[in-house]
Amino acid sequence: MELREFINFPGLTFPGLKITLLKPDIFFKQWYSWYSKIHSSHLESPLEVFHNHVYRLGIPDSHIVLMLADDMACNYRNPKPATVFSHKNMELNVYGDDVEVDYRGYEVTVENFLRVLTGRLPPSTPRSKRLLSDDRSNILIYLTGHGGNGFLKFQDSEEISNMELADAFEQMWQKRRYNELLFIIDTCQGASMYERFYSPNLMALASSQVGEDSLSHQPDLGIGVHLMDKYTFYLLEFLEEVHPASQANMNDLFKVCPQSQCVSTPGHRTDLFQRDPGSVLITDFFGSVRKVEITKDTINLTSPVEPPIKRSGSSDIQIESLTYVDQLPVAEIIHQKPKQKDWHPPDGFILGLWTLILLVFFQTYGIKHLKHIF
Amino acid sequence: MAAPLTLLLIVAVTIRAVLFRSSLAELISARVEVVSPLNAWKRVVEGLALLDLGVSPYSGDVFHETPLMIYLFHFTVDYAEIVFIVSAYFFRKQKYALESDRYSADCLELLRSPKEMFYIPLKVAMFYLLNPFTILSCVAKSTCGLNNAIIALFIFCTLKGSALLSGILLALATYQSIYPLTLFAPALLFFLQRLYIPVNLRRSSFWFFTLQYAFMYVGSLVVITGLSFFLLGSWDFIPSVYGFIFSVPDLTPNIGLFWYFFAEMFEHFRLFFSCVFQFNVFFYTIPLSIKLKEHPVFLIFMQIAIISIFKSYPTVGDVALYMAFLPAWSHLYRFLRNIFLVSCVLLACSALFPVLWHLWIYAGSANSNFYYAITLLFNFGQVKVFTTTWLTNCEWKNRWRNKVSLFINLY
Repeated sequence: MELREFINFPGLTFPGLKITLLKPDIFFKQWYSWYSKIHSSHLESPLEVFHNHVYRLGIPDSHIVLMLADDMACNYRNPKPATVFSHKNMELNVYGDDVEVDYRGYEVTVENFLRVLTGRLPPSTPRSKRLLSDDRSNILIYLTGHGGNGFLKFQDSEEISNMELADAFEQMWQKRRYNELLFIIDTCQGASMYERFYSPNLMALASSQVGEDSLSHQPDLGIGVHLMDKYTFYLLEFLEEVHPASQANMNDLFKVCPQSQCVSTPGHRTDLFQRDPGSVLITDFFGSVRKVEITKDTINLTSPVEPPIKRSGSSDIQIESLTYVDQLPVAEIIHQKPKQKDWHPPDGFILGLWTLILLVFFQTYGIKHLKHIF
Repeated sequence: MAAPLTLLLIVAVTIRAVLFRSSLAELISARVEVVSPLNAWKRVVEGLALLDLGVSPYSGDVFHETPLMIYLFHFTVDYAEIVFIVSAYFFRKQKYALESDRYSADCLELLRSPKEMFYIPLKVAMFYLLNPFTILSCVAKSTCGLNNAIIALFIFCTLKGSALLSGILLALATYQSIYPLTLFAPALLFFLQRLYIPVNLRRSSFWFFTLQYAFMYVGSLVVITGLSFFLLGSWDFIPSVYGFIFSVPDLTPNIGLFWYFFAEMFEHFRLFFSCVFQFNVFFYTIPLSIKLKEHPVFLIFMQIAIISIFKSYPTVGDVALYMAFLPAWSHLYRFLRNIFLVSCVLLACSALFPVLWHLWIYAGSANSNFYYAITLLFNFGQVKVFTTTWLTNCEWKNRWRNKVSLFINLY
């Protein structure tokens, strides 16, 4: 088989596929990382800085879904319109020319967020507003704003609860919309948001435990709002040192912002994650690192696995062969619901009730009727 | 006697069966005048579903029926319609006994002739089975029908003279909703009259029988409550059923008097007013029993009327219960005043209930005051029925005494 035919194989949907040549008879798809972030109602905008880091580490804007509820740059209170700074020195304008906000203002709702995650969008939604991930994508989700025990506030009028989020992730898992997912939340009592997760391959970080508040870092004395949260600030400082080839792993990320620096205690959750966090690179989520190995030998490309049966419908649904499904011990991770049984009254009760009824019957009508019955 | 009764029964069952199968059944089940939070069928099904899921049915504010109802319905939930039709059938049994209580003296025109009296049971059965209120209540599968059946059975056993059964059935009726507690006094008076024990507080025989009857009643109540505890294994049904009846937390509009007041009252005064309103039901027992100690059956009728007007969640099924007894006092018809006014008020209000509900809830051009006005008028009509019957009874007694004394004087 020729290399050209390989690349044009109809089963593949990713453009720009690179082949790793470690095992010539099996395809390795590229791990495209998807980065989706939300900025719900918080006044400052740390995610623009995130945007820079993530951008720098290789994720293109087409793979970033950015939702901002407030328009800081064009707010009439902003003394320098069309700019947003992350530090009071105003050295870096994070709202540069290339920031693409996909959901702005009133479009940032719980419903839209969940629809982006689960993919249940109307057919007219443009690609930039969709999360076009599949089962080999790693997704990073970063949320910040105001929250409480079990919820995150959207737009001052609604909330998303931890159960909704957990169910959305389960839907994503069922539809094979992610390979691994990193969830970072920077709100008050953020740890409550990842308590209810039950799908596999989720790792979560939060800036504070239940009962604690996440505090903000620096105020801008000109406008009177705070620029960034403490946890995000130190997280970004940590990410400054990450470059595409860095071997920093998740354990380092968990150590970011200890209680001495942020007043709150950051928390994390890794029990649903298949791999050991120490072996997970930061760039697995924050960057899109392509693994390339160069070889000078010729490879014989034999025919790959059978094509999946193309059904009419969306390309989101992946029909995998049986062997693929068994790769992950899903049944051990996902809890099974107990089978519903009908309720029956206790036997003692039935016995007692009918004995009493019979007693009353014979008391009123006398024993002599017994011989008519039997 | 059996033939017209059977015919009546067939007609009643046919009407109910036809309405069950039609599309009106869901419409009627949702009407607030017919179902209340205490006896709605939807809530029974919900409670049983919760039980199947392993959760206590009393958690949350859904289910307010007693545990014995759970037991009754858990295996008949698909055949519920039959249960309700059967309960309507029980009702007719009790009026046979009413005959025996009539005076059999042959005074003219103040009494009905025996021939007319013969038809009273049939009339009572007709008034109950063909009453549109009962048909609506039965089609909506409201458990009010079962409550009515238990009260009817209680009256039947009382009139038959069986103190034990009457005590047990009264305990069952009280266990279902607390208000039949007030029927203890008329039942006691009836038994005392039957056994020729004078109602004299100084006599020991009076106390002896009272204690016996009270013991049977309280004992069966305790046994039934204990059985309910064993059914579900917890005492949650007590705050859910009895606490709910007394504290009236659910203020869905119905044909009663509670909801409007409690909706606009401050929390601070709630306890006081709920005590006042509930007291109203129990208050009339003692004065009425003193006045009517020779007529305990009439007293039962009066009590049932008071309960259905002043209870916390009345429905039209409760109204139908005492209306069914009206033919038993057909000797009072001659003296009934304002029949036209009262019957027009009741008919007009029954017709206006759905109209004003629609205007309030769906069209938005009326408000709760309109609906409450009709509720008030309806209850006013009921009170008018009550007082008119009462007054004619007094007048009838006076005339009866005059006639008897005249009769005696003649001889």
